[in-house]
Amino acid sequence: MSAPAPPSTEPAKPDEAKLSPAELKKRAKAEKQARRAAIKGDQPGGESSTSGGNGESGAQAANAIGGPPQKKPQQQKAGQQKQGRQGNQDARGAQGDRGASQQQALPLRRRGSQSGLATADSKKDNKQVELFSHLYTQPRRHTVEGTSKDVHPAVLALGFQFSSYEICGSSARCVAMLLAFKEAIQSYTTPTGTSLPRHLTSHFLSPQIEFLKSCRSISESMGNAIRYLKKIIVEIDPNMPEQEAKAYLCEEMDRFIRERITITDQAIAASACLQIKNGSTVLTYAKSSIVEKTILQAHANGTKFRVIIVDSRPLFEGKHLASSLMSAGLQVEYLPYSGIPHAIKSASLVLLGAHSMLSNGRLQSRVGTASLAMQAQKADIPVIVCCESVKFSGKVALDNIVLNEVAPPEELIPLAPATGPMTADDKAGEDDEERSKVKTLSEWRDIPNLQILNLMYDITPAEYIRMVICEYGSVPPSSVPVVHRLANEGM
Amino acid sequence: MPAAIVGQTPSLSTFLKSLKTNDVETSTELLISLLKRRQIRNSRPCAIATSQLLLRVVAGERHRDAQKLIERIRNVGCRLVAAQPREMAVGNIVRRILGVVREVAEEDQNPADMSDTSPTKSEPSKLQSALLPTLHAPTACSTPGDVTPSTDFGLDGSQSRPSLHSVNSHAPGMTSLFNILQTPQGRSPIGTPPGGAQTPNTGKKGRDGFEAKEKLDVKAEVIDGIKELIDELEIVDSQIAESALDHIHSNETILTHTSSQTVQRFLMTAARKRKFTVIHAEAYPNDHEATHATIVNGGKKGSGDNEDVDERWRPLTAMGITVILIPDSAVFALMSRINKVILAPHTVMANGSLLAAAGASTIAQTAKVHHVPVVVLSGVYKLCPVYPFDTDGLIEYGDPSKVVPFQDGEFMDKVDVVNPIYDFVDSELVDLYITNLGGHAPSFLYRIVADHYRPEDIDLRAKSDQ
Repeated sequence: MSAPAPPSTEPAKPDEAKLSPAELKKRAKAEKQARRAAIKGDQPGGESSTSGGNGESGAQAANAIGGPPQKKPQQQKAGQQKQGRQGNQDARGAQGDRGASQQQALPLRRRGSQSGLATADSKKDNKQVELFSHLYTQPRRHTVEGTSKDVHPAVLALGFQFSSYEICGSSARCVAMLLAFKEAIQSYTTPTGTSLPRHLTSHFLSPQIEFLKSCRSISESMGNAIRYLKKIIVEIDPNMPEQEAKAYLCEEMDRFIRERITITDQAIAASACLQIKNGSTVLTYAKSSIVEKTILQAHANGTKFRVIIVDSRPLFEGKHLASSLMSAGLQVEYLPYSGIPHAIKSASLVLLGAHSMLSNGRLQSRVGTASLAMQAQKADIPVIVCCESVKFSGKVALDNIVLNEVAPPEELIPLAPATGPMTADDKAGEDDEERSKVKTLSEWRDIPNLQILNLMYDITPAEYIRMVICEYGSVPPSSVPVVHRLANEGM
Repeated sequence: MPAAIVGQTPSLSTFLKSLKTNDVETSTELLISLLKRRQIRNSRPCAIATSQLLLRVVAGERHRDAQKLIERIRNVGCRLVAAQPREMAVGNIVRRILGVVREVAEEDQNPADMSDTSPTKSEPSKLQSALLPTLHAPTACSTPGDVTPSTDFGLDGSQSRPSLHSVNSHAPGMTSLFNILQTPQGRSPIGTPPGGAQTPNTGKKGRDGFEAKEKLDVKAEVIDGIKELIDELEIVDSQIAESALDHIHSNETILTHTSSQTVQRFLMTAARKRKFTVIHAEAYPNDHEATHATIVNGGKKGSGDNEDVDERWRPLTAMGITVILIPDSAVFALMSRINKVILAPHTVMANGSLLAAAGASTIAQTAKVHHVPVVVLSGVYKLCPVYPFDTDGLIEYGDPSKVVPFQDGEFMDKVDVVNPIYDFVDSELVDLYITNLGGHAPSFLYRIVADHYRPEDIDLRAKSDQ
């Protein structure tokens, strides 16, 4: 976590001059804060400025004149996204921490000031679960600080929507990315002396993709879409006029979205909803757009059935699915993750969405899917996966560790720490007076040896999956590599 | 009675305090209402409250006759069990105490009766119930009137009954089976019971002979027995923890679930000598707050009454143990790297299956699939002389607002939100039980049940109906 500290406070940056006033101001603020803190500790509000502070505040004032219009939204956005994930801030240097703390609520500052720098540094290391150390490559980006100037605003916005889960789900992210790229490509002009096919991919598209990756690691569907995009860019005739080429690219991307996702979804829903019979009970986990479509379509076809949704912390995606199904008039039952045995008892069909289908027939999906599939299989309930071929992957995985994503652990900390005496256990009464001394989980970074692991995906073994429904038909999990070849490599 | 505890949230500690001042009947009513309102819940608080109350009941009892005492305890016990049938620890403690009384009564009479050579005279039904089924099982159903008034299942009160008899065709066979298992208990009271009432027995033997004093002694001996039981409840965790080093080796990765003082204590004991990693699943939505508190602040002994001296236990992290908190959903993802799963039950059934916090079944099944051993730590007081037939009936459903807050009015209106509190875990998913008596295979638990409960006490309602 220490390596990729966002270069917000790096002094020497080549493109410094090109930063927007808002960014400049933010940087100035951060530096000012850091300097101040270094001299007299923790007093952010004070107007008395140090020798260096004078110049800074002057610059700040100057910037403020031109700044406000752009500054407002950006800072707000950054602030919002930081709220849930203060831990990422911690991962940065203490200086960045202080810089952030000024626009932030108290807890951050307190933490920064109380724990000495040295101890904070030593603690940081063991906050990563060793087994998954390869996945902690980079904390998710939630601010524009230090982004490349080449990143198109549409992609910037998209990145933050990714990192805050506003756009979540493999297909949704893929579509959103292609739409953002379309917009970005529209504003692209080929520099003189090179041609679009040679320049676009390496010099224009790569920074966009890198930026998206820094917000949240990209999904298999996005990877397939990017591969496809690169392929058609390379195949463009260098002599083609730029406008024409751009129009062609946009058209191709539209076609990709339409053919590989929109229509495919309809086809899969049409085929999967035949599996839902009258009087059956469909069990699903979290939320998948394609499962939602399938269920709604079956409902529209007049099939009478019941839906059980099992959900899990921290994303509670199933709640969205439950809301949408309930407004469609379906009979919905909603259970926490611990209710799986209860759900299995009455279920007659399990429908699952996918993050990606791996080439050894395993399903990569929201963490928790595997347990559900295992119990369904034990109870002889068919487990059916609905998955577009764009999510099929050439990768293989045996365990859940190599191929995964670690989300910020702060998401798992309950928002309102349980200060209200939950009379559930009898110690509550006695603890009342002690509670001030008692630590809560939100201080977990200060507690040595305590780690929180928030995985995004797990991998369901192929033997738990009865059938995979894709646009090429219903196939067994063993046929995944074949479909992958056909759909993603044969293009 | 709530007047006694105004200003404080009623809980086990307030109950125990009020127990000192209130009279027996008030305390009984208070405990019943606390149980009903779930202000005392979970096995250990229930067990402590029940044993303390019954101690008062016995102490306040004027009748010195064992039979009267048994009836009185049964009566109170039935009311407590009826108040909260799913807290089986209540019934277990009542049965244990009844066992103590019978023990003492037998001790009382045996020396005298031995010389009379009429042992069956005083308690014919009991011995019959113990002996007859072994001889001719088919008649077991009718003969021992004590145990199986199977014609009358006025059983709503105790959870044990419906499950025992719910499959009617099986009922006679089952009942006789029970008796077969427990035969030795009825025959030789001296040899069998571990811990429990053994010491009072020997003391009693030395002192008996005075006909006049005998009746008084019954009560005193019973009180001694109950106090021993209370002591057992207190030390049960450390007894279980003693075997920690036999089961945990260095560099292990151990998965546990929800917050349990027994498990915490077990791991702490091992942590003093060995370094390992604990992965803690948080049991959302019912126990995650308690779990977080345990992880961050360490455990605290569940009974908060007179042992304020009890050390506040440090969290495992302070002992250099790496603790990784995960949501329940990540258990499958990690199971392949876990060496052992340690669970704490709510109740253990006689066949080795158990009830535990919701999520335990998923964990146990995942462990089974990955061939990871599942170890269950349970005090004997959680061991219930019930065979599960209707597992659905055992599971309690809790507050749905813990899953979705009631503020989401429309959602709550239109969607069935279900929040099971317990999970049933089948015995085949468990590899080992560790109780305060040592380690046992799940298939051996019936034997421990037989050691601790008298067959005539298994159906608490039966006798009181007569």
